[in-house]
Amino acid sequence: MTPRYRARNRVPVRAKRVVGPLLLAAVVPLAACGPAREGSGAAERATPARADLRIVVATHGQSADPFWSVVANGARAAGRDLGVRVEYQAPVQFDMVAMSNLIDGVVASRPDGLVVSIPDGAALGPSIRAAVAAGIPVVSINSGDEVYRDLGVLLHVGQPEYDAGLGAGRRMAAAGIRRALCVNHEIGNVSLDRRCDGFRDGLAEAGGDIRLLAVDLADPDDAQQRIAGALAVDPDLNGLLTLGPTGAGPALAALGESGRLGRVAFATFDLTPEVAAAIDRGSMDFAVDQQPYLQGYLPVVALVSYLETLTLPGGGEILKTGPGFVTQEDAARVLELAEQGLR
Amino acid sequence: MSLLGNRWTRPEVGAAAGALLVWAFFALVAGEPFRGGDGAATYLNAAAPLGILSVAVALLMIGGEFDLSVGSIIGVAGMSIMLLTVHFGWSVWPALLVTLVFCLAVGLVNGLLVVRTGLPSFIVTLGTLFILRGLAIGVTRQLTGRTQIGGLDAVEGFESARVLFGSTFVGGLRVSILWWVGSAALATWVLLRTPVGNWIFASGGGPAAARRVGVPVGRVKIGLFVTTAFAAYLVAVTQALRFTGADALRGELQEFRAIIAVVIGGTLLTGGYGSAVGAVFGALIYGMVQQGIVLSGVDADWFQVFLGVMLVVAVLFNHRVRDMATRATPREGGGEPT
Amino acid sequence: MTGPTPVLSVRSVGVRFGSVDALSDVSTSVTEAAVTCLLGDNGAGKSTLVAVLTGVLRPTTGRYLIDGAPVELSSPRDALALGIAAVHQDLAVIPLMSVWRNFFLGAEPVRGRGPLRTIDRARAYRVVREEMGRLGIRVRDPGQAVGTLSGGERQSLAIARALHRGARVLILDEPTAALGVRQASFVLQVIEEARERGVAIVLVSHNPDHAARVGDRFVILRQGRVLGHFDRSEITPDRLRALMSGQYESWDTGRSPGQSPI
Repeated sequence: MTPRYRARNRVPVRAKRVVGPLLLAAVVPLAACGPAREGSGAAERATPARADLRIVVATHGQSADPFWSVVANGARAAGRDLGVRVEYQAPVQFDMVAMSNLIDGVVASRPDGLVVSIPDGAALGPSIRAAVAAGIPVVSINSGDEVYRDLGVLLHVGQPEYDAGLGAGRRMAAAGIRRALCVNHEIGNVSLDRRCDGFRDGLAEAGGDIRLLAVDLADPDDAQQRIAGALAVDPDLNGLLTLGPTGAGPALAALGESGRLGRVAFATFDLTPEVAAAIDRGSMDFAVDQQPYLQGYLPVVALVSYLETLTLPGGGEILKTGPGFVTQEDAARVLELAEQGLR
Repeated sequence: MSLLGNRWTRPEVGAAAGALLVWAFFALVAGEPFRGGDGAATYLNAAAPLGILSVAVALLMIGGEFDLSVGSIIGVAGMSIMLLTVHFGWSVWPALLVTLVFCLAVGLVNGLLVVRTGLPSFIVTLGTLFILRGLAIGVTRQLTGRTQIGGLDAVEGFESARVLFGSTFVGGLRVSILWWVGSAALATWVLLRTPVGNWIFASGGGPAAARRVGVPVGRVKIGLFVTTAFAAYLVAVTQALRFTGADALRGELQEFRAIIAVVIGGTLLTGGYGSAVGAVFGALIYGMVQQGIVLSGVDADWFQVFLGVMLVVAVLFNHRVRDMATRATPREGGGEPT
Repeated sequence: MTGPTPVLSVRSVGVRFGSVDALSDVSTSVTEAAVTCLLGDNGAGKSTLVAVLTGVLRPTTGRYLIDGAPVELSSPRDALALGIAAVHQDLAVIPLMSVWRNFFLGAEPVRGRGPLRTIDRARAYRVVREEMGRLGIRVRDPGQAVGTLSGGERQSLAIARALHRGARVLILDEPTAALGVRQASFVLQVIEEARERGVAIVLVSHNPDHAARVGDRFVILRQGRVLGHFDRSEITPDRLRALMSGQYESWDTGRSPGQSPI
């Protein structure tokens, strides 16, 4: 996947939440965490007791994001289950320079294991190589399936984007869709481009074709207008795929307003409670789920396994967490889990 | 030596004290990882690009103007370098040169627009911000179908350019730190030691009074816009060479970070007062807080809380300083001046 | 008029804004080493006349002479080049900058060559102290921000700066208007010092007490016209006040036209 949700969009919300206990809240957790880590230095890494293991998850999405909160929950659950310390870190906005700085900082703090997402291999490569060179075992998640081997990363846990797009395209083609709109909410994100490519090829197998539409989710009204516009100018469109759940809301509204809800097959990448509810209602056909919970949980398990026994799952291949498809059949159950932040 | 009578009211004093405080705080909380050489390298490296930008932005803000387009210039400059090399097959140095000319031209246009129209630079450069970001995304996508381009390391001239802009020199410290220190030293020299520095202060502090005594306020401001554009270019070059590629979105929001660092560094938002050294400390504080939080093992989300607190404290402090500077002190003895 | 040629004079100057005559048929002059006071109530035309004298406004009619020769001023810069400097009460100095930076703004003393020229700070400090000292002001720290100076000191700094830059005619626009008694008295002292140095001073004021204290000659403006010229010997503050407010109008019009110095 790789929803590059931009922190910018959420800043006001988060700011509101913390305005009250501003200083106190900022200082207390810092003070609480500082000395606790003293024992996990590099010197002791040779014979780590499990409670001393410290694994840092550094991704490009904040834990307050719907998607990344599930990843973070998965990682934390694994930490709890295995009895190791898990920290979740992300830069305040999608910014590879900031993220490389973040990884550099994490490496300087000498964790026992590092989990990273690699949305831009060229930009993050030097920082990740530095981690590997420092002897820190690294597992990549979510994005980076093409570069992880070259960077010395042990294992990649995620969903191959092209395959996921291909799967979605085939599914739509099987339902008779021949002309579909692919809504890209983050121009410039290579992973999203590959989803669209797969989608195109999946439809093309049945003789179908796609149109690409770029929208800016900083302005959902504008996104909705653009989608509505694209639907209006092309009456032959009978399929619509958004590349992330945040694009699904405006798309749903646009479909509803143009009266084509139900006449246009509608699917999205990634799952949120809203998406699950829409599928349950029948407003959406399916969601391509990369199962973010596993993207948090599995790398922690893999790293602990590696640290203690030098064993790794996956056989050197990508450990696939998707694509899974959520349809109306299981939507109700998934919705329950999504509301708990587990799907 | 001092702009103000009392030494402690020098603009950078607050920021220097703040930097010391922040360092002490994280040295205590994060412990060895922060105090050690690796830790220092990570926050210095993180602060360097912002520092280069902030030094130039400090000059501009002292001169009474804003440049919101610097972040976009970083994006556009990076893409220009990558397109010229990877897409059009140029070698690195000519691409760097042409991109430099382009960036300086952007600064010139910013300056001319502000000076000729008399419109607030905040609005004018906000326009440039969108135009340049849009161009970076649009042109690159048009030409390559992507907005991230890599592969600079395969281009002729990469190694020599990398040594100058993208390498590390000692203990993991990046060469951008040297550019940062160098530009700060140059800016400080210009500001405090040369007539142009005097004109910069005057252009921000009292443009009408400055014009009356023959200061070329318009030319000073245009020069400052060219300077900020150059700093943005320099940041783009160091990042393109270090990451061997560029992203059309690179530099986003960097204009506000620079303003934050400059304000933390004691420069007045209203112009006429401030220092380049202060901006150095402002950027350093930014880097230390950002990396210190990571090194402490606290969720990086807290970074913004810290930054907000620092900003408010800095602005309050600066406000007080300006009050002290501009308030006529009542004296005993009537006309007897000091 | 007897005595030396006036440094600056205007003859039959009129300024018309649309259909309004801001100034009509104004003739007057200023001489070296003398304080010529330009008095009048608000709206009498003082500001317009100052604007003409400093090159901000071109008169609609009439002539402008320097050392007896006609000149055309098209900007304050032209006036400055001819040694005519104006000190305005608000625009004179920049509060956030230090005394010496203000003093030398736009004409910094430098040493070294080319792009490596730097401000000669030692010389700047010395000159500031000297020049201010010549006006009877002791500067303790030229690095002090002007904002920390009193209003009178700021005016004095602007006066010292103008003199240092070779002003022969100093036009002071309401230098005491915003000042308290002590500060005003201080500025008047500085004006007297400047006169001693041979400068021709035009003091624009609507405060008859201040004018009477330092003035050598008095020009009264009313409704855009010159009401009369007076010497120091003919004047008391009360009489000035009465003239400005127009109570002596009948008395004044009865005077002989020979009173004009031109």
